[in-house]
Amino acid sequence: MIEFFLIIFAPIIGGLIYGFERVLRARMQNRQGPPLLQPFYDMLKLIDKQAFILNPYHSILGIMHFFTLWVVVAFIILGENLLYAIFLHLLSSIFLILAGFSVKSIYSHIGANRELIAMIAYEPILIMLAVGFYMINGSFEIALIRENSSSIFSLILLFLAFLTLIPIKLKKSPFDATEAHQEIVGGVEVEFSGLFFEFIYMAKWLEYVFIYLLLMLFAGDSVLLGTVLFVGVFLLINLLDNSTARVRIDHLIKIVLSIGLSFGILNLIGLVYV
Amino acid sequence: MIQSLLILSPILFSLLLLRINLIARNILSILFVVMLSSFSLFNFISLDSPVSILFPHYFHNIFILLDYLVLLFFLWSGVVKKHLLVTLLALLQIVLYSGILLLKPTLLSSDILVDNLSSIMYLIINIVGGIIIIYALEYIESEKLSRMKKNGFISLLFLFLGIMNFIVSSNNIEVFFLLFELTTLFSYLLIGYRKDELSIQNALQALWMNQLGGVAILIALFFSIMKYNTTYFDVLMANIDPTFLLPIVLLVIAAFVKGASIPFEKWLLGAMVAPTPVSAILHSATMVKIAPYLILKLSFVMSGFVSISITLIGTFVFFSASLLALSKDYFKEILGLSTIALLALMMALAAIGSEQAMNAALILMVFHAISKALLFLQVGILEKNFHLKYVSDIDGLINRSPLVTFFIIIGFASLTLPPFGAFVAKFMAIESIANEITKNPLYALVLVFIALGSVFLTLLYFKVLTKLFAKDVDYKQESLKISKYYTLPSFALLALLVIGIYVIFTMGLLSGAELIVPTVLVSLVPLLFATLTFKNAHRVKEYNCGEKEEIELAMFYFNISHRLQKLIYSVAIFGIIILLFGVLL
Repeated sequence: MIEFFLIIFAPIIGGLIYGFERVLRARMQNRQGPPLLQPFYDMLKLIDKQAFILNPYHSILGIMHFFTLWVVVAFIILGENLLYAIFLHLLSSIFLILAGFSVKSIYSHIGANRELIAMIAYEPILIMLAVGFYMINGSFEIALIRENSSSIFSLILLFLAFLTLIPIKLKKSPFDATEAHQEIVGGVEVEFSGLFFEFIYMAKWLEYVFIYLLLMLFAGDSVLLGTVLFVGVFLLINLLDNSTARVRIDHLIKIVLSIGLSFGILNLIGLVYV
Repeated sequence: MIQSLLILSPILFSLLLLRINLIARNILSILFVVMLSSFSLFNFISLDSPVSILFPHYFHNIFILLDYLVLLFFLWSGVVKKHLLVTLLALLQIVLYSGILLLKPTLLSSDILVDNLSSIMYLIINIVGGIIIIYALEYIESEKLSRMKKNGFISLLFLFLGIMNFIVSSNNIEVFFLLFELTTLFSYLLIGYRKDELSIQNALQALWMNQLGGVAILIALFFSIMKYNTTYFDVLMANIDPTFLLPIVLLVIAAFVKGASIPFEKWLLGAMVAPTPVSAILHSATMVKIAPYLILKLSFVMSGFVSISITLIGTFVFFSASLLALSKDYFKEILGLSTIALLALMMALAAIGSEQAMNAALILMVFHAISKALLFLQVGILEKNFHLKYVSDIDGLINRSPLVTFFIIIGFASLTLPPFGAFVAKFMAIESIANEITKNPLYALVLVFIALGSVFLTLLYFKVLTKLFAKDVDYKQESLKISKYYTLPSFALLALLVIGIYVIFTMGLLSGAELIVPTVLVSLVPLLFATLTFKNAHRVKEYNCGEKEEIELAMFYFNISHRLQKLIYSVAIFGIIILLFGVLL
């Protein structure tokens, strides 16, 4: 039952995390910042806007991106197969990328291309992460991973690699070249507006839920460790976001991939011998 | 015997086709393809235990005669075309083959052995191959050739199906060698079909590289007779001595050649000058599948060293071919390199030898054939209807032909994304490798190659869509009409993909929810495209920061440096040398 509610309210939980993040970031910069519920006020405002679209394909793919991501989150909450969830997440990203390609807009195209290239950086790490969990638990089942005790010490290097890909997925500095609002005005999102932008906006919240749910897997059955991980990583990511400059997309790939692959492979081999 | 029908009937049918008119040819061909497909399906369903057939003695004499004819033809081609390598290799093959004929191995077995693996190969060859031939009926009509030559083209394709059916049922390595050489002959003839400078040059390249594979089989045959006293696959594998796997490794190298694995990939890429149905039928859907087939057959007897070496080489090729493809613009070349990559992956998985990995290889083989055939058919349509060959020219195809765009997207999506078969194979592959890492840490490296290679392929497939998917707001013209012969085969392949999802469901490889959910999501997209128009929403132009310049979209390329290419070759060649020497020591 609790799973059911979690799934239904997943976008709202994501919205709350996002709202809290904006408050926290403002405090880090010594300003007042928006209220906690600001993301929801934004949503209310967007509903009233007139609908502007470029072509139906673009809007439909944006909506599909949101729903697919919601399904991914649902699969993880229900404790399904981790590797499968990662591939389904790929499908949702592909919908967004196709949406970006479906219009003749230069920023949308650059954004979609960057989104696609950034995949090189995080996808292999996610797969290795799944394999790491598999080697410890003997299964990709998330329910089983949650029942077993924490594996963060055995997977410490993969955990570090995972940390490097969080900023990419959450569009945080230093790895936010895919969105880069100052140079490419938001990338893929640029052509969405009004009601249709709402789906993209909520998809961003779901992305938060997705990432933090994956993070919780490191805690295993320990609620305390889960809370500590969540709070710690949340602070760390926002601190980084506030204190670093954006990295170019090709550097992003090089940095994340070299860290991810070397740490990942060491960790997997270490699991055999240590 | 349904198996002998599958082998013999295409050969007879191809003779019939030579002298009939267009309509009769088309109707008969379609009926015959339906018949072949039903035979292969019937065989697949009804086969309980392996079927074996023994040839009478004079059959072997016919095979020997044919073998000499083929080898002499190679020699003749080499001399006439003044190609030294072809000539020398043909001579070497003749000498080796004559030597082998002098040896008289005594352990005999049946010449034809049809097991489950062969049945699955029948399905691929006859159904996918058949669909491509139906497509070729229309395609070849738009070439400037005489009626005789056009019919000859179709009958060559049917003949080829017969030979493919034969090769996957053969249990005798000698016969296997003959058929291997025959497929080489066919690729030589079909690649050079247009008879221009480039075609002939590439045909010769395909010839000498495949001859290398033939030489490898002959040496394997020699050692098999000397050490194991047999020319039969099943006897060889039953009596195998783990300290002497040289014949097996040589057969694997022949598979590398046929599967156009790096460093032998040049011939397959050169084959792209051939008419598109040829590329589809020979070079992605059927012929190259001999490579993973052979390794699947042999993987039971591989030692740990041989198995891990092949897996490492295969996944390395998978990774590098996907990387190389990122720098290409010619559509067929992109597809060709992705075929090379996926074939190498199949071989790697087959060599692991665990049940799960082998199933993954099989599933990948089946669905790769369907998806690649679908993609190649679209390439042909693009060529014939739109005169496009380069990805960078396919600008805004969605405006002109939404259907072709849809097939291209489905073709690419079915190679990477859930719920399609190739995805299931990738999924199983990763799980089976995760199981192997605990036994041998080298598999961690295999995993990295697979993870990187598959993300490169995803990148490749969707970057190709960059330009063709960009819908023009102002575009008002009607979309182009495309002949039914072109679209119907594509719909048939699409149906196969969907049936495939159902088959995977019945096999219980993924849970119901795991298949149904993405199926619904993916099929919703075209459904919504067709129904939702958002009439009430205002149409706007793209945001362009106030610039008035005309926008030209472009696809990005990866610049693969010369040094990196050389490095890839050296590593691949080094891997094969290690494999060969490792097994000798």
